[in-house]
Amino acid sequence: MAKQEPVVGLVFFPAFDWCITPDHPERQERLLYTRDQIQEEGLFDHPRIQEFRPRLAAPEEILRTHVVLPSLERNITESHRIAAGGTMVAADLVVDGRVDRAFALLRPPGHHANRFVHGARGFCVLNNEAIMVDHLRHRLGADLRIAIVDTDAHHADGTQDVFYNDPGVLHISLHQDGRTLYPGTGFTFERGGPGAYGQTVNIPLPPGTGDEGMLMALEEVVLPILEEWQPDLVINAAGQDNHFSDPITNMGFSAQGYARLTDLLSPHVVVLEGGYSIESALPYINVGLLLALAGLDYSKVQEPGGVRPRESRDIIRQVAETCREVRELWKTRQDVDLKSVFGSGPFFERRRQIYYDTDNIYESQQEYIRLCQSCPGWRVVYTSSTWNRTPAAAVLLPWKPCASCLGEAQEQYDQLRKDQRFSQAIWQDPRSSPGSDEIS
Amino acid sequence: MYVIGIDVGGTHTDAALLKDSSVAALAKVPTDHGDLFASTRRALEEIWRHYPGDGPVKLQLSTTLSTNTIVEGRGAPTQVVAVPGPGVNLASLKLPFTVHELQGYMDHRGREAAPLDSQELKGLRALLGTGEGEAVAVVGKFSQRNPLHEQKIAAELEQWYKGTISLGHRLSGRANFPRRMITAFLNASVASQQLDFTRMWQRVLENLRIPLEDVLVLKADGGTMTLEESGQRPIETILSGPAASTMGVQALTSCKEPNYLLVDIGGTTTDLAAVVDGEVLYERDGAVIAGYRTLVPAVLTRSLGLGGDSELHFAEDGQITVGPRRAGTPVCLGGAQLTPTDAVSALELAQVGSRVKAVEALQDCAVRYGLTWADLAKRIIQAFVAQLCQAVESLYRELESMPLYTVREVLNPPELRPQAVVGLGAPAPVFIPKLAEALNLPHEVLPFSAGANAIGAAAAAATLSITVHADTELARLTIPELGLQEEVERPLFFDLAKARRAAEERLRELAKTQGFGEDAEIYVVEEESFQMVRGFRTVGQRHMVRTQLRPKVRRVRG
Repeated sequence: MAKQEPVVGLVFFPAFDWCITPDHPERQERLLYTRDQIQEEGLFDHPRIQEFRPRLAAPEEILRTHVVLPSLERNITESHRIAAGGTMVAADLVVDGRVDRAFALLRPPGHHANRFVHGARGFCVLNNEAIMVDHLRHRLGADLRIAIVDTDAHHADGTQDVFYNDPGVLHISLHQDGRTLYPGTGFTFERGGPGAYGQTVNIPLPPGTGDEGMLMALEEVVLPILEEWQPDLVINAAGQDNHFSDPITNMGFSAQGYARLTDLLSPHVVVLEGGYSIESALPYINVGLLLALAGLDYSKVQEPGGVRPRESRDIIRQVAETCREVRELWKTRQDVDLKSVFGSGPFFERRRQIYYDTDNIYESQQEYIRLCQSCPGWRVVYTSSTWNRTPAAAVLLPWKPCASCLGEAQEQYDQLRKDQRFSQAIWQDPRSSPGSDEIS
Repeated sequence: MYVIGIDVGGTHTDAALLKDSSVAALAKVPTDHGDLFASTRRALEEIWRHYPGDGPVKLQLSTTLSTNTIVEGRGAPTQVVAVPGPGVNLASLKLPFTVHELQGYMDHRGREAAPLDSQELKGLRALLGTGEGEAVAVVGKFSQRNPLHEQKIAAELEQWYKGTISLGHRLSGRANFPRRMITAFLNASVASQQLDFTRMWQRVLENLRIPLEDVLVLKADGGTMTLEESGQRPIETILSGPAASTMGVQALTSCKEPNYLLVDIGGTTTDLAAVVDGEVLYERDGAVIAGYRTLVPAVLTRSLGLGGDSELHFAEDGQITVGPRRAGTPVCLGGAQLTPTDAVSALELAQVGSRVKAVEALQDCAVRYGLTWADLAKRIIQAFVAQLCQAVESLYRELESMPLYTVREVLNPPELRPQAVVGLGAPAPVFIPKLAEALNLPHEVLPFSAGANAIGAAAAAATLSITVHADTELARLTIPELGLQEEVERPLFFDLAKARRAAEERLRELAKTQGFGEDAEIYVVEEESFQMVRGFRTVGQRHMVRTQLRPKVRRVRG
């Protein structure tokens, strides 16, 4: 139900004093021109757009979602905590009914941050959306159904990782085909863990996809899936690097396309992700996005340089083919014999090598998910990296564990605590404030 | 040195004569809304009688001329010529004036993204007419970064347009295109009237044979401007009354705390303002007048419909609400309706009018709620204080919700909360101590309740401000308020310090041309500086520096 005159809560935090390095795309200047444009358009004092301050995310709010190694203090800067906190402020505004929709227009971004954090990947350390989703469930209960639609040009591998086995979250990512862009993942066959199979939906798009292709994927795949899954809240992880002028991707989206996408998707909360065409694209995309969220006329928003020519018929054909495939996968997700995917053993084992491009770290991970009929199953993960050479072990509980999984997990954790091979044993129960030493 | 301050209020026009830093005399005449000029002149004559004739005199006026004209919608017929470029659709803003949109635009860095259309420029003649007795405002999006389009349109208009022309970039260096349009529109609409006012004063001063050294006009930011300057920028004279009141408080208070709350309690309204780090806070974007959001720098005041003469409302459960409307004259002073002032009179918190009448009126009301008159009176006072407390809390909540854009500020947000309460106004001696007690703060009630605005007008000092936008990649320096755009020499070496020096020097020159002394203290109000990096290479720097003449307030002894 779209309200006629929605009020938008804007949590704008450009972090004008924070950068990865002074010439990095994530630098002080990134949202400067966006601020100038929004300010000049008078949107900061438009009666339907209200600005709010971000806040610092508390350690327990971060550790509900992430396992940070070796420690929060050593890996997280204040700016990361403010970005995560600002995202939670945005979500709280909506669920508390203070505004109809909210836009966390802030940096640093977060969607490449996995559950396990050894450092920065794809400019991200903390996953802002993921921390926000867990915060909302902590406040409102584990039954909350949340859909995340990630429209960044890069595959949202971090968010996918966090909610990979979480039946409360539907994660849809539209992105430039992983064969042509960082992080090289996000294929249609990545469909989620045994506890949430089919709820990871990837829509890889060929390089050069423009407004027509993006909106086709939205209208023919994303919107019908949302309609069927009936989330309580829709979150848009709004990367702005699909723009034709973005220096580090190869897509063909326009400011009008972004506004139209926002209008059609009509998300409750929008969270900025990437987008590095800071002068030619971001100012116009963000104005269009704000106008669309507030239900205002965005028809005159246009980046300099005029209208972009439409993508080729060949690209549209490829997008249409992907859409057909993803729709088919969605329809048949419950018909799949999970044993054929995850085996019939008591555990499903997954071994991964994860590269942290921003910090140049390699992580090795071994994960065991308990295949359980009554809940998504507890997990144990062993992880080490070139930055944390001694492995750490973590026992992870799902939001709604069954009694037997809870018992098994506790037993496992008790063993791991005594095991000298690990630098630390971590217990993560999203329902409570976590700590590495105590069982709640 | 003598200064006369005159404040034109809703009921009275007050005048104050200051000698150096003490109040030499006060005067008061009724305001004649039919002829503001006549009552202002009477106030001047009244106060002039106290002038001993031994030194130069300066006159500082807080007028309501432009404020009233805008509130009553009596300005000259005014149209707007806008160069909006892409972005928000102007039609969706429902602006209360006719806008003629021209093609062409400047981008956010002030680069011409599309030129003006010369045919459209020529076509303005047919659209606007000759402009006799009318006005036009010319405003472009990002004109504060590059005023070229506004200047070109003005050059075209000057060839044939006979009315007033106001240019957006001359009025503010700040971003906000809708506000700039509204500011220029209002400025244009009151300009000819302000010019008449200026001429009238010049004539009067000749006729009065008063050796006035200077006539200055008070602005919404609590500073003063010259009479001539007010003819160019009359919009800055709006809302100078509340500003004069805060200047009065700053002049009279002995409060030494860096942060304090100003409370001006009157008969109809109570005005709140905040001092932080010794300076009164300004509105973030600019003054709001009659629903118009402007870019006019203004003292931040929040006005509540709460005063000694406010209406009282009694709910079923005995809950009392004060205001927001005025009831009229209190019963104790001969009125018909019960007011907070009657509660004050009855409880002998202050001597006001006939206590007997007040008690009778309270008695009549109290029986309906099964209360004694004294209990009812106490509850009225409590309700008044409770509403005041609530308004104070929401003022500081609002201030504390102002956005912060740096990690440094989020970690150490500025401390805004007051350490003291300073009050004035006739009901202040009763209510300020109770408010301060509820807030657990020390307080001070100022003398000269009646004349504080006039004292503030007299104690105010000149303010003047400019904005420097420098973009070293474009090798361009722009000062919109001066309509100045020039090339930056040796852009590679033009750092923030150089931008700051330019902003200080230009302001000093401007101050000199407007007759301010060499000693005028100039300070940086706001500045920012960014490296511009393209493809891992620094291509330039972008600086913004806003400098201002320090709005010094003379401390005044009682």
